Amino acid sequence: MIISVVSGKGGAGKTTLAVSIAQVLGAEFYDLDVDAPNAEYFLQPEFDATTAVTQPVPLFDEDRCDACGLCTRECRFHALYKILKSVYLTETLCHGCGLCELVCPQQAISYQDASVGTIRSGTSQRLGNRVHVGDLKIGSTRGTYLIGELVKQIDPAKLSVIDGPPGNSCAAVAAIKPADLVVLVVEPTPFGFHDMLQTEQILQQLGKDYLIIANKALDSTDVEKHFTGREKRPVFTIPLDDRYHRANLAGDILSLNFSEIHSGLKTVLDGKIAS
Amino acid sequence: MTRQISILSGKGGAGKTSVTAALIKMMDAVVAVDADVNASNLPLLLTPERQTNNDYFGMDIASIADVKCTDCGACIAVCRFDAIARNASGRVEIASDCEGCATCAHVCPEQAITLVPRKGGEWYLSSIANGFLVHADLIPGEDNSGKLITKVRNQASAVAKEQQIPYIVIDGPPGTSCQAISSITGADLVLAVVEESLSGLSDYRRLAELVKKFSIPHFVLINKSGFNQEIMQQIEATANEFAGTIIGRIPFDQDIPRALQDLQALSDMDTYRPVIAEALATLLQSLED
Repeated sequence: MIISVVSGKGGAGKTTLAVSIAQVLGAEFYDLDVDAPNAEYFLQPEFDATTAVTQPVPLFDEDRCDACGLCTRECRFHALYKILKSVYLTETLCHGCGLCELVCPQQAISYQDASVGTIRSGTSQRLGNRVHVGDLKIGSTRGTYLIGELVKQIDPAKLSVIDGPPGNSCAAVAAIKPADLVVLVVEPTPFGFHDMLQTEQILQQLGKDYLIIANKALDSTDVEKHFTGREKRPVFTIPLDDRYHRANLAGDILSLNFSEIHSGLKTVLDGKIAS
Repeated sequence: MTRQISILSGKGGAGKTSVTAALIKMMDAVVAVDADVNASNLPLLLTPERQTNNDYFGMDIASIADVKCTDCGACIAVCRFDAIARNASGRVEIASDCEGCATCAHVCPEQAITLVPRKGGEWYLSSIANGFLVHADLIPGEDNSGKLITKVRNQASAVAKEQQIPYIVIDGPPGTSCQAISSITGADLVLAVVEESLSGLSDYRRLAELVKKFSIPHFVLINKSGFNQEIMQQIEATANEFAGTIIGRIPFDQDIPRALQDLQALSDMDTYRPVIAEALATLLQSLED
């Protein structure tokens, strides 16, 4: 079973909740926020494996290439450009589609693997569970591809928690797609609620079972204010508490430090996991 | 000449939008840009009046003309994104994962595949009290928000030029990938809003590395501070390492989220207006130098 923890708004508490949920359930952990991965500061894994994630990119045979420029015009990702008598690649823009190789009249293009990032795996020194972290190469546009490669490693027979990327674009979709259950973290503010409605559209389109957890609530009226009249409401609300903030910023796992967080998460998840 | 300030953080929820809105509200004339197009929150704080609504088209996607297609499967063989498959009755179909590369159209022996425009969202030009706001909404789940960010930024530049407004202020997206890059390209300076936490520190380092590649000066506003001296010192050391100038500190104070709950910006709060005013003065001065 795969549980994805997501939120449209950044800083709502995805990583905070994801590491606590992994602790409560004893689940394997996947950090899919590949351009700002932070779960390792909480889980403190001892990494024992690093694999490069690659995608094919074009390589030019200078002797054959006559700089006709056809490939630069055909590439829809603007990844190729020509200066004088040479064609160059902006690797971070390349999707590895293979079109340039097919259109080249001189057969001057072949494909070779290039790195888009790495996946590090290890065992959490705090929880003892396995942790996998995606690191996108800085400047790369291939985050969604890297997320896809990480997702392929997940064994659906095991219980796994995904810490997703913020936002509501294709990267979020890639982190939501494999999930059997989605935990939607919402900050009960006008901003958090606005972004949550967009994430809900994705969840509904994909037909995902999800539950809402409200985090950083100033007081109970915050949640009421935003959720009045709605059928789908938060099943658990975590207040904005200086003690939680102080622990969280230093990398503590809230469910380990605070029994009310542990029991609250256990109560809402137990029913979902058993069924 | 228009000068552009881009506000980023790496980590989400560090306070980009809160700080951006406060800076904007204290400026004489400005074109604001919300570049966080898939979680657009700046409009909530600026009470914009919408002037125009415009469709945004992202990457084209492949479309198969059923009458021409012989279901030969040549397209399936070349698609590297597994975006083309046979349905239950054996007919070849495009799935939603199409990245629009057009390789399938190139190999199709029947010329049955064309690339067609696909609406990816909408962008808007709005007026605000002291200028304009250019913002957008990506359709949830859509791809290529980098292109949409470039679109709204180009519109902002056009408006600034036409109206002779000297500054563009960009509320950036979280992260350090393509969307952040689209928000940095062409900016005159970057303001990093850094949360005092291990995550905030780590993401700031990634952002600082990215900004360094663009050779753009950057400034740092530390937010939610006052709890952890050690992390604070590491943020200062990182700023030092990447030649970032720290221009202010905002403490962790529950009055701030309480004010935001009522859509009040930092500049509307007596306690924090001076911090924002000083930060703004430093940023504008550095654009003069």
